[in-house]
Amino acid sequence: MPEWIITIVKILVIVFGFVMGVASLLTLVGDRKQSAKIQNRIGPNRATLFGLDIQFFKNLGISHFIADGIKMVLKENTIPNGANKFLHGLAPSLVFLPGLFGWAVIPFMDTYCTGDITVLANYQEVCSGEEKRYFQIMHMEVGLLYAFAITAISVYGAAIAGWASNNKYSLIGGLRSSAQMISYEVAIGLSLAGVILVYGTLDLNEMVRMQGHQMWGIVPMWGVFVQPVAFFMFFLAGMAETKRAPFDVPEGESEIVAGYITEYSSMKFGVMQLGEYAATVFIGSLVAIMFFGGWQVPFLYGDGFHFGTPTGTPDVAVPYALIVLLRIGSMVIKTLFFVWLQFMMRWTLPRFRYDQIMTLGWKILLPLGLANLVITALLSAIF
Amino acid sequence: MPVLTINGTEVEVDRGTTLLKAAAVAGYEVPHFCYHPALSSPANCRMCLVEVEGAPKLMPGCYNQVNDGMIVHTESDRVKRARKAVLEFILVNHPVDCPICDKAGECKLQDYYFAYDAQESRMRAEKQHKVKVYPIGPRVVYDGERCILCTRCIRFCEEITGTGELTLADRGDKAEVRTFPGQDLDNDYSLCTVDVCPVGALTSRDFRFKRRVWLLTSTDSVCTGCEMGCNIHLDHFRNTTERYRPRYNPAVNDYWMCDDGRLSYKALNEGRLEHPMLNGAQATWHTIAGAAASKLAAVIEKNGASSVGFVISPQATSEDLFLAKMFAETAIGEGVRLFINGNDPGSSDELLIRADKNPNRAGARLVFGGLDGVGDASALADALEAGELEAVYMMGTELGAARGRVEAGLDDVGLFVLQAAHQGGVLLDAAHVALPAATHAEKRGTFVNCDAVVQTVDQAYPPNADALPDWQIFMKVAGAMGHKLPFTFLRQIQDRMFEASEAPEPEETATEEAPAPAE
Amino acid sequence: MARTINVVPQERVPKTFWEKSYVPEIMRGLAVTIRQFGRNTFSRKENRDTFTIEYPESGTSHYPERYRGRHRLMLREDGQVRCVACMCCSTICPANCIHIEAGEHDDPTVEKYPAVFVIDELRCIVCGLCVEACPCDAIRMDTGVHMQPRFDRTTAFHARDEMMSRGGLSLATKGGRDAVNEDYTW
Ligand code: SF4
Ligand code: SF4
Ligand code: SF4
Ligand code: SF4
Ligand code: FES
Repeated sequence: MPEWIITIVKILVIVFGFVMGVASLLTLVGDRKQSAKIQNRIGPNRATLFGLDIQFFKNLGISHFIADGIKMVLKENTIPNGANKFLHGLAPSLVFLPGLFGWAVIPFMDTYCTGDITVLANYQEVCSGEEKRYFQIMHMEVGLLYAFAITAISVYGAAIAGWASNNKYSLIGGLRSSAQMISYEVAIGLSLAGVILVYGTLDLNEMVRMQGHQMWGIVPMWGVFVQPVAFFMFFLAGMAETKRAPFDVPEGESEIVAGYITEYSSMKFGVMQLGEYAATVFIGSLVAIMFFGGWQVPFLYGDGFHFGTPTGTPDVAVPYALIVLLRIGSMVIKTLFFVWLQFMMRWTLPRFRYDQIMTLGWKILLPLGLANLVITALLSAIF
Repeated sequence: MPVLTINGTEVEVDRGTTLLKAAAVAGYEVPHFCYHPALSSPANCRMCLVEVEGAPKLMPGCYNQVNDGMIVHTESDRVKRARKAVLEFILVNHPVDCPICDKAGECKLQDYYFAYDAQESRMRAEKQHKVKVYPIGPRVVYDGERCILCTRCIRFCEEITGTGELTLADRGDKAEVRTFPGQDLDNDYSLCTVDVCPVGALTSRDFRFKRRVWLLTSTDSVCTGCEMGCNIHLDHFRNTTERYRPRYNPAVNDYWMCDDGRLSYKALNEGRLEHPMLNGAQATWHTIAGAAASKLAAVIEKNGASSVGFVISPQATSEDLFLAKMFAETAIGEGVRLFINGNDPGSSDELLIRADKNPNRAGARLVFGGLDGVGDASALADALEAGELEAVYMMGTELGAARGRVEAGLDDVGLFVLQAAHQGGVLLDAAHVALPAATHAEKRGTFVNCDAVVQTVDQAYPPNADALPDWQIFMKVAGAMGHKLPFTFLRQIQDRMFEASEAPEPEETATEEAPAPAE
Repeated sequence: MARTINVVPQERVPKTFWEKSYVPEIMRGLAVTIRQFGRNTFSRKENRDTFTIEYPESGTSHYPERYRGRHRLMLREDGQVRCVACMCCSTICPANCIHIEAGEHDDPTVEKYPAVFVIDELRCIVCGLCVEACPCDAIRMDTGVHMQPRFDRTTAFHARDEMMSRGGLSLATKGGRDAVNEDYTW
């Protein structure tokens, strides 16, 4: 099969199958049903599916969600008087697309090995055949930088949306979102500096491979164990980047209507929303990759389970196909878990005040990140 | 001059001043119904009772005059009890149908009730019923039940207009205000009785039920009905003018204004030119200014400035006229033929109504340094008929009797630019370029009245649709023709204008002789 | 009858280090939401905390007496509209959704009536202030009928006659409860 067909298939499966699937499922289950349960409500349970009056489907609320989607597409697209039509139309894609582009470098599994795999005593897997990158859309040495370079663009989307709407609330929302996102870019960057120091690479897949190592033969070398502070910082700042509660001052509906999305309707609004969900999923996957071993399953290597230092033959041999499935499943489940966690945070915490957000970003996370970086550098110089 | 003490404050006032006015000087308001500063005092309502030390009974403050050494109390318990009693007495037969009363919100009885009475009715018998919705005149409706028989309206017709149509008929609790047999309350100032009526007994047929007064916002303005320029409160709601009320100015109109002027507010809302129009099609200011400029420039290029007729309007403010002058001089050029349109003269009287039905001819005269050599509307028609004009640039749509001839003549000119607040019927159809202007409710400016009193109008609300103040339009068109008129704010125009005309600047507000007692 | 309000000044409790770091507190918060989620999802119906009452299955019998439903305009004895177009309701309406145009009534004792009276239900926030403001008991929201979902916006404007069709007689008498007191002797 030519390379480009494979790429297209990968894009379709990952972006449309996984990301969009998860993102849209989240709008339903995460945002509606789950929040309803948490708040002692029932949530959507009325609409029937294709007229089938089955209580189970009604309770799931799936048809509500489909109807919502259809509604989004069919609704009137209004552009306020005096808005800059071009920029107003451009902004949603600027918010939405970066969240998708970032997925190009996310590995869902290690390279696919056509030959046999031997696991060395230093936990490295050596492939005797060809290594094919079936589970990552695009391999990039500087994948991490790419991911953040691309996602940082979405701040333009929010700022432009705020400005182009010709509405004071939108403008305030746009300003808030740019201030917030720029502040937290700094924290994210600093928290990652420590991680990069430890793993010594920017290649995301390489990073995950490194996390297959075991410390003292028992604890996997996951980011969360070697860089716990960075994990907290990254998770916090990442949530702030998605502009969702408790960091949703840019929308702040009690103060500024809906912030920079105030003047958006129909599918443009839908795309804005979807962009936020996609960003949530993206942050979830990054947390999984950098701090929780990505596709790694503890003790599972290319040829099976090794407990303790690998000796050449696995303690429990596992067929390669199953290993592939296990690893993909591991990645997906970890991602979903962190997405779920972000949602729980959203329904648990009240919105930060604007000054609190700034204090957290500049006065707490920034010094913390610097300290973390210095200490990590010292430690890695010593060991 | 007598010196007296009012509530402990010593004041010195002229001999012959009433206690009520003296109290106003001392800073105390004495409630009153029948007293009106411009009318005589019959002292029949007893609301203004004050306590004078040494006098056995309370005295009506609106009638009794000051004496040297008097000690007066206007807020003592006795006075307060008396006020309460008077109000209760007035309210015995009052219907208190405030929900359907147009006066509610600006009613003296309501205000005083809340301030001085504020108790539940103790009246248990059926109230005396009288006439409701009585058409006492063509523009005024009378409600006998609400009338508190203060006779202000009667005295107005006797003392101010001298027409004396009204009187009190019947007696006791059957008394009502009536016209003399065979007469109607139809003098030219009849709607002023609605203003002087302290309650909702007299209502204006025009304003009746139209809007609750508490929804109105009031802006100080000037009536444009004739060159008297009566000072008005321009009451508006959601960018629509809903009524005029006279505003006290002793130098011009005192407390009054005529009915025609009062109803002239309707023109502010009707038949407005809303958008710039280019050959009958809606355009934007950007395109229209360029189009007007190039067309005008083409005519001037071809036939010279003397083929352009520039028509100014005596309805425009002085600032607009000043800009019109600058526009004519710079953008059109030397030799332009000047005309002035405007409403035809009408009736006049001794009181307020003046024959010239335009508010600012005097201002035009000042700005243009006299109007000699400026033809009127019929001169414009003559010039059109003689084929002397290739282009006409006209402010306003008031043409008077010459309207028909001008309209016919305009069909033949190569370029007709209409800059007006109104469509002017056929004029809009004839216009190649139509520029929507703001009315005097929608901009600030000054008018000069027949007695050379310079008066300002305030902006009540933003211009309707695409309209702009005339001076801004002139600047736009002149700018598009390459002549930049150097103004940004109205203030700059005024500075330049008063410098040029040596006219005195208007005083900030109408001179209110301190402290005038409330109406 | 002045009411006394006791103000007890509260000491500010200084935060501990862990509280300031938020982390344990966030954990506790998460525990609460997760517990609630679990209880409302997995336990048996009667053990759930859900307090949603489902309409229309549940009927309206549990509604409080003063539930605010769709508006109605009350009637006079002769079936005419009771409203006198005083516009107190449209003045107080925080949503500016009541549009009234007053007309001159043929009967001089009635004098003023609403020639046009429209409530825009899409704007109405069902606050009930209009009912409070009405001096004539002419508008009520005691129908118990919900605001309805609709396919066409134009149907959301309730015209006078439609609201009158839900109307009824008011018990209030002109001039107040005991306007004419029979027991009163001169
Ligand atoms: S006159 Fe005054 S008190 Fe009497 S009904 Fe009218 S508003 Fe009410
Ligand atoms: S109609 Fe008005 S002004 Fe005239 S007597 Fe009655 S209350 Fe006074
Ligand atoms: S319920 Fe409230 S919002 Fe609705 S019409 Fe009445 S006053 Fe207005
Ligand atoms: S409903 Fe009541 S408050 Fe509203 S206009 Fe009619 S009488 Fe007045
Ligand atoms: S008696 Fe003095 S104001 Fe009427």
